[in-house]
Amino acid sequence: MTLVQTNPTIGDEQDRPVNLWRDAWHRLKRNKLAIFGLGIIVLLAFVAIFGPYLTPYDFLSQDLQARNQAPSLSHLFGTDDLGRDVFSRVVYGSRTAFLVAIVVTAIALSIGTALGAVAGFFGDPYDRVIMWLTDMTMSVPNLLLVVVINASLKTPIARWMEAQYMATLNPFYRETIWIDFLLVFGSMALISWPPYARLVRAQVLSIRSRPYITAAMALGLSNRIIMMRYVVPNALGPLIVAVSAGLGTAMVLESAFSFLGVGVNPPTPSWGNMISDGLRVWQHYPHLLAAPAAVLGLASVAFSFLGDGLNDALNPRGTK
Amino acid sequence: MTAQNTRERLLDVKGLSVEIDGRGGRAVVVDGIDLHVTRGETLGVVGESGCGKSLTMLSLMRLLPNKIKVTKGSADFDGQDLQKMSARALRKVRGGDIGFVFQDPMTSLNPVMKVGDQICEPLLYHRGMSRQDARKRAVELLRLVGIPGPEERLNAYPHELSGGMRQRVMIAIGLACDPKLLIADEPTTALDVTIQAQIVDLVKQLRAKLGMSVVWITHDLALIAGLADRVVVLYAGTVVEDAPVDALFANPSHPYTRGLLASIPTLSDAPAARLSSIGGTPPEPGRRPPGCPFAPRCPVAMDICRKEVPKLEPISSEGSHRAACFAAHKALKAA
Ligand SMILES: Nc1ncnc2c1ncn2[C@@H]1O[C@H](COP(=O)(O)OP(=O)(O)OP(=O)(O)O)[C@@H](O)[C@H]1O
Ligand code: SF4
Ligand SMILES: [Mg+2]
Repeated sequence: MTLVQTNPTIGDEQDRPVNLWRDAWHRLKRNKLAIFGLGIIVLLAFVAIFGPYLTPYDFLSQDLQARNQAPSLSHLFGTDDLGRDVFSRVVYGSRTAFLVAIVVTAIALSIGTALGAVAGFFGDPYDRVIMWLTDMTMSVPNLLLVVVINASLKTPIARWMEAQYMATLNPFYRETIWIDFLLVFGSMALISWPPYARLVRAQVLSIRSRPYITAAMALGLSNRIIMMRYVVPNALGPLIVAVSAGLGTAMVLESAFSFLGVGVNPPTPSWGNMISDGLRVWQHYPHLLAAPAAVLGLASVAFSFLGDGLNDALNPRGTK
Repeated sequence: MTAQNTRERLLDVKGLSVEIDGRGGRAVVVDGIDLHVTRGETLGVVGESGCGKSLTMLSLMRLLPNKIKVTKGSADFDGQDLQKMSARALRKVRGGDIGFVFQDPMTSLNPVMKVGDQICEPLLYHRGMSRQDARKRAVELLRLVGIPGPEERLNAYPHELSGGMRQRVMIAIGLACDPKLLIADEPTTALDVTIQAQIVDLVKQLRAKLGMSVVWITHDLALIAGLADRVVVLYAGTVVEDAPVDALFANPSHPYTRGLLASIPTLSDAPAARLSSIGGTPPEPGRRPPGCPFAPRCPVAMDICRKEVPKLEPISSEGSHRAACFAAHKALKAA
């Protein structure tokens, strides 16, 4: 027995745990929309990571001689009212978008998975309390909640940071950008976790009572193996779809926040505050609205195509 | 019981009771069942839908869902009580010494795992086989259960196979580790008659080849006639008759068994005529009458039947034929 474990053959390594994923990948490859979405996401991610090396201009550098220029070869997406290169700002905005989307989704997913799994596994009274919490959170209008959080917390936190700085002279406390991110991440995660909690709970409940779980137990498999090879793969499809769609939603949500003035603050470039700036002048300079809006739309569509494709790919029953 | 007797009995269930915790309180679904299987024997377990066949078998292996519990009784397998065994020891028995074939082939296979991997599962984790050896064995098993082109089928997902093929895959999984006992829960109800016959033949062949014991659960008495050595008839969670298959068909002693036999459809019968000879319905769990559970439907019920519970007692001189019925006991005494 130990021989098998300490001395895996090459066939072993390649064959076993990756089966599901390799097959899913083969199925995904056949789905054109999903591959299109994946391509866009990979491109945007690449741009976000290598942005500083790609942009011809710094996102902050102003050129007051070249304000509000239409797209041209030297400024691909034109320039804004301060003469900043819009292309460079969109590229930097992708960093904000990905950062916000990934962090928010990760937090929301962790909270949602933990609460949903507890509710599903342990049942009442945990289930009742957690579902009550979920319903409560979902029943409060999202943007209202965020505006309230921002309005009530931003100033106290800023004051506290200021006081800390005075006391310690640690320059960290001067970086107000962290307040922005903290509040944006925190409040977005706060409104984003309930769907994950519901989904995980439903998955746990339904998979736990499936006959194939009893059948796996009748084979004498350990709980760990049943969890890893029977419960998780069956629960994963819908969860991955939700995460993929959630990333897109988080990007749109961040833009909505910026639009309302509760998002990431200028001068940090975000597609949201570019769109809200662009909206004010779109009759005169449509490119200022079109560029960030198009990229945001593209990203959001790409995530939802990929999500749908992953759902079909991870669920061999669904495909022909 | 003699030592000889104990050694012959591979599975020996005594006084097993199972209760469900429901909204309307606790309901007894299996009520003190006694049954045993000797080595190499095929035991047929028959009874109407809902009489507790599946729950009995699941409770043996401690596989009951959350709100259903074993409240009494023991189940000795190969000299060890499955009910008291440690979880670790029990895992060795499950899928190792006892193979299980589940009722519903459509939902009892993991939909996201290739059937080959599912057959390999018990081999890898019980036998510690290498992956290559397990796959070779899986091909053998698929061939054994009569699946054509086993090498290619290893890579199929359950949804790519027909119901009959899936049932065969489940039998292959049940047989993977050469179990001493195969428990098959209505393995053919989901299948059409030709495939049913094929699977019955298959199990007969395998039994002869591997020398294992089989518990075959069904509500189809006609099917059991050609397959079992001995038959246990369940009614409302109790054993009402236990007899060698020939004795049961030649001399059914419990009125319920007689009703079942009379309702075996012949070719000329319309399907609607099935079970017409027993009026009424079985009692719901938790609402069983005092006395004999069959009394409300029994054509020969007597006063005592409504007051006392008949025990499962021998009704033949050599003792192998037993029934839980006052009328049958009386007939023996009179004879
Ligand atoms: N998970 C469950 N929750 C509540 N009641 C259950 C559950 N499973 C079975 N029962 C009840 O227990 C009784 C016995 O069920 P069981 O499945 O053992 O019947 P069965 O003899 O196998 O019937 P069938 O021939 O339909 O498979 C039935 O009355 C059924 O309603
Ligand atoms: S004990 Fe009485 S009621 Fe029960 S089956 Fe026998 S005769 Fe009928
Ligand atoms: Mg059943």
